[in-house]
Amino acid sequence: MVEKMDEFERELREQLQARSAPGGFADRVMARVPQRRAPRETFLGFGVPVWRWAVAAVLVAGMVVGGLEHDRQQRMAGERAREQVLLALRITGSTLRDVQQKVSARDERESFSQKGTVREHNDE
Amino acid sequence: MDASPQEFRALVERHQGRVFSIAYRILGESGVAEEVAQDVFLELHRNLPRLASEEHATAWLRRVACHRATDALRRRAARGDVAAEEYQDGMALRPVVRDFMPLMNRVEQLLLTLPPPQRAVMLLRYQEDLEPEDIALELKMPLATVRSYLQRAVKTLRAKADRTLKEYSRG
Repeated sequence: MVEKMDEFERELREQLQARSAPGGFADRVMARVPQRRAPRETFLGFGVPVWRWAVAAVLVAGMVVGGLEHDRQQRMAGERAREQVLLALRITGSTLRDVQQKVSARDERESFSQKGTVREHNDE
Repeated sequence: MDASPQEFRALVERHQGRVFSIAYRILGESGVAEEVAQDVFLELHRNLPRLASEEHATAWLRRVACHRATDALRRRAARGDVAAEEYQDGMALRPVVRDFMPLMNRVEQLLLTLPPPQRAVMLLRYQEDLEPEDIALELKMPLATVRSYLQRAVKTLRAKADRTLKEYSRG
């Protein structure tokens, strides 16, 4: 029984040897294989096309210039604010001086008039 | 694995018989089998960078040929191109085929009477000479299933071959 099975299996193996493919099969496969495109121009051999590098460079440059411009405007705004504060302080300083001078002058006048009154009283 | 057009062509020439035979013996029609076999090689071309060696490519071709041919058979069955009883009935050789077929080719025709998964397993075992363990790995099937398919298929084929031989000798 086992021997018969082996014989049958051997028969199967023999009759199921690979067939030949139809003539011209490889030609027909090759005709359908997509042609490889010419290698694209790349930058420094990194496999990325030049135009992508260019787009990336423009974007980076735009970001850098934008960043610098933003920085400059911030600095100028800071300068303007500082000047305004200093001007305000100057104005305040001179006003205070005026007020102080006026106060001092009035104090002097008052002290003169008080001295005169005291002398008149003593003379009496 | 990378291949120039010349190298790829040589690869096709080395494996075309194997892939075509698997497709033909699962599908039973030369024209459809060639279509499937061509598609398998085009798929191989797309997948070459992922395959490490020709040994891997061979295993890949066997597996994909079995799957694509079985898929094509399923599509044809869904369209009604293949009679369902072709592999369900015990002795379902079409009379015209049976009468004019040389005895040598009858094994292929008998194979077509098996359910498609059994055909694939039988082809990997007897055409490709793979061990059941390797078939299980290639078709991602449990080993017990592979063994059971082989056992059932061989038993069925033996019974059918005996009957065919008797009919043939009766003339």
